[in-house]
Amino acid sequence: MKRRFNILSDPRFRLVYGDVRNFREGFKPRKLRLNREQFELLPDIKKKTQVYPGMLLAEHPSLEKGDLHAPVYGVISDINVRSIFIDVLEDSAVDASAFPAVERVELLNSDLRGEDLVLAVKKLGVNTRSLGQRARTLVINGLNPEPGITWAEAMLIGYADEIKAGIELMRRFGRADEIILAVPKGAVVHVDGIRTVEVEPEYPNSISELLIKQITKKENPEGWASVGIHNVWSLGHVALTGLPLMDTVITVSVEDHWANYVVTNGSIVGDLIEYTGEPLKNGDTILRGGPLRGESLDQLDRSITKGTQGFFVVRKGTIPPMEGDSICVNCGACMLVCPTRIDPRMLSRYAEFNKYDMSRKENFHLCVDCGLCSYVCIARRPVLQYIRLAVNKLRQEEAMAKLTPVVPVSKD
Amino acid sequence: MSKSANKDIMVAISVPPFWHCGRTIRGNSIYTLIALAPAMLAAFAMWGLPAIRVVALSVFTAMACEFLCQKAMGQKPSQHDGTAAVLGVLFAFLLPAAAPWWLVVIGVGCAMCLGRMAFGGYGTNPVSAVLVGWALVFVSFPTYMDATSTILATDLFDPLLRLKQFGAADVAGISCTDLLLGLQLGGLGAVYAGLLFLGGLFIIFRGVIRWEVPLTFLIGVAVTAFCFQMADPARYAGPLFHLLSGSTMLAAFFLATEDSCSPHRRLPMCLYGLTGGALVVIIRIFGMYTDGAPFAVMLINLLAPMFGLVVTRPFGWKKGDK
Repeated sequence: MKRRFNILSDPRFRLVYGDVRNFREGFKPRKLRLNREQFELLPDIKKKTQVYPGMLLAEHPSLEKGDLHAPVYGVISDINVRSIFIDVLEDSAVDASAFPAVERVELLNSDLRGEDLVLAVKKLGVNTRSLGQRARTLVINGLNPEPGITWAEAMLIGYADEIKAGIELMRRFGRADEIILAVPKGAVVHVDGIRTVEVEPEYPNSISELLIKQITKKENPEGWASVGIHNVWSLGHVALTGLPLMDTVITVSVEDHWANYVVTNGSIVGDLIEYTGEPLKNGDTILRGGPLRGESLDQLDRSITKGTQGFFVVRKGTIPPMEGDSICVNCGACMLVCPTRIDPRMLSRYAEFNKYDMSRKENFHLCVDCGLCSYVCIARRPVLQYIRLAVNKLRQEEAMAKLTPVVPVSKD
Repeated sequence: MSKSANKDIMVAISVPPFWHCGRTIRGNSIYTLIALAPAMLAAFAMWGLPAIRVVALSVFTAMACEFLCQKAMGQKPSQHDGTAAVLGVLFAFLLPAAAPWWLVVIGVGCAMCLGRMAFGGYGTNPVSAVLVGWALVFVSFPTYMDATSTILATDLFDPLLRLKQFGAADVAGISCTDLLLGLQLGGLGAVYAGLLFLGGLFIIFRGVIRWEVPLTFLIGVAVTAFCFQMADPARYAGPLFHLLSGSTMLAAFFLATEDSCSPHRRLPMCLYGLTGGALVVIIRIFGMYTDGAPFAVMLINLLAPMFGLVVTRPFGWKKGDK
C-alpha cells in the first residue's frame, strides 16, 4: 500500500531479482578495444605485436589504478591515443608454447601485507581506489548497484569463494579497521568470518551514502566508506586464479530479459549484441552501465571495460521521448523523490541558464547521482545531466581557483 | 566476419536515466480528464444540453486562447498536452449550467490569458489559473454566477445559501446521501462530491497528484467545522455538511493540488492543505460569499511560497552547520 501512494511505484526498483545462476562464460569476442587513456604503454607494444593472455601492455601511473593486460591471444591491429585494438586469434591458430608462460601470483599464500600487497594487486590489473579506502568501517555493498543489474545475488551465493578471498586480501591491506558486508534484507547469506548487516534492497539504497545511512541511521557519519561487491569479486577472482584481471561481470539486458555474463575486457558491444541473438533496431538506445546512471553509446564498436557493470538495450518507444527544450513545469516530483533533499528543480534551471554560482546555495555537492529526478520528471527534462554539468563546471572552477598565479621572474 | 546485421543500425543517443516512470504532462492531463468524466457525465444527465454547451464552449475557448497566446508569444503550440482542456473543464465545473455564453468566454479567456499565459505558460502560474478566471467573473457578474438565480425550473437548492440565510438548524435536515450524490445547486460539476472523490482517488493512485494535499485539506475542513459545531451547534453546521456541500471536493482534489501553485515537500504540503481546509469553513462562516472553497484555494496558493520556506535540512546536516 505504501508503494502505491508513493510516486516511485516501479517494481524493478526492488533490487532483489532472485537470479543466482552462475555467470555465462561462452562469449568469445572477435575484436577487442582496450582503453589506454592515461596509461603508459610498454616500449615494445606496437602495431602487429603478438599478444597472449596476461601479457602486460601498459602501466597506469596512479597507484590506485590497475595496469592493463592483454586478455587473449591476438595481434594488435591499431593503437591510437585512446585505445589499443586487438584482433583475436582463433584458438586453433595459436601455438601456446610459442609464448612465454604467465607466472601465477598466489596472493593468498604469499606473505605480502599492507602497501606491498596493494601494489601487487595493482600490478594484477585491479583498481584499488575503492577496495583500499582508509576508513574505520568499510562496508561491502552487496546490493545490486542499480535497478536492472542482477549479478549481486549470484556473487553472494554462488561465488562466495571469490568474495571470501577478496575480503581476506582487503583485510591484509590493513587500511580499514573493520570490514562488514551489507546484504539485502531477507536474503540468507552467510560468509564465514565477516559480520553481515541487512539493508532494505530498494533503490537508491545501493548508493554509497544512502547505504551507510541505512546501516548507521546517520547521514554522512565519519569514518564510514563503502565498496561495491563487483570490485571485491574482481579482487577475489584474481586471488583465486593467480592471473591478472582480464574480464568483468556484466548484466546484459535486452528489453525485459537479462543474463549475467563474464565478458573479456575490451569486448566490442556489437559482438555482444550479436551473441545474445537479439537484433538491434533503428532508434534503439544502447548503454553501458546501469539504466539510471549509465552512458549511452554512439557506436557499436565501443567496448566493455573492466569496471563496467552492465550493458542494456532500451528499445525505441519504451519511454516517452525527451524533447530538447522542454521547460520545467514546477511539478515538484524531483524534490519529493530526491534522497538528499536538494532541489533538482532549481538546480537544473541554474545549469540551463548558466547560473552555476547559484547552484552553491542549493547544496549541489550533496547530489549522489541517483538519477531519480529525471526518472520522475513529467516534462522529460535531463535533470540529472544538468546537475552533473553544474557539478563539473564548479569543480573545474574550484580547481582553477586553487592554482597559484604564475608570476614572471624578474631579470635581476 | 565484419559484415554484421547490426552494421547499418542507427542507435539513438540519450542522457541517463534510460528508464522513466512513464508519467508525462499529456498522460497526467488525460488521467485528470478521466477522473473528471463521471462528474461531467452526471452533470450532462442532470442538466442536459445547457451543461454540455457550457463545458464544450469552455474547453474550446481555453484551447483557442492558449493557441493564440502561444502564437503571439512565439511558443510552440501545446494543445495536444491537454492542460488547456483540463483548465476548461475545471472552469466549467464551477459555473452554473445556465451560464450565458459570454460569461463562459470571458471567464475562461481571462483564466487562460491572465491566469496562465501572462506568466509564461503551463506550470508557471503562482495562483490557480482556473480560479483567477472564476474570481473575475464571480465578482463582476454575481447574479449570473449564482445557480439559485439562474436556474429556476428545479426543486434543488443551494445548501450553502440555506446555511448562510437560515442557519444550521435549517440544513440539519438535508440528507448527506443527497449531498454525496450531488442533489444540490451550485457549480455544474462541482456539486458531485461523491463522484469527484472517486475521481480524486483515481488520480492519487495514478500518481498525478500527491495524497498529502487533499487529505490534509479535507482534514482541515472537518476539524475546523467540528470545532465550530462544538462551540455552538445551533449556529454552525457539522463537518460532513461542509465536506459534501459546495465545491469542497473539487477544491481539495483538483484545484488545491495544482502543482505549480502548491508547495512540493511533505510538511509544507500538509500545512498548506490544513490551512486551506480551515479557510474554507472560516470564509463560509464569516465571509460574505456562500462558498468559501475557491477563495480559500486562491489564498493558500498565494501562501504557498511561505510554506515553502519551512526549512529542510540538507543531507548530512549536523548541529552547527549553517
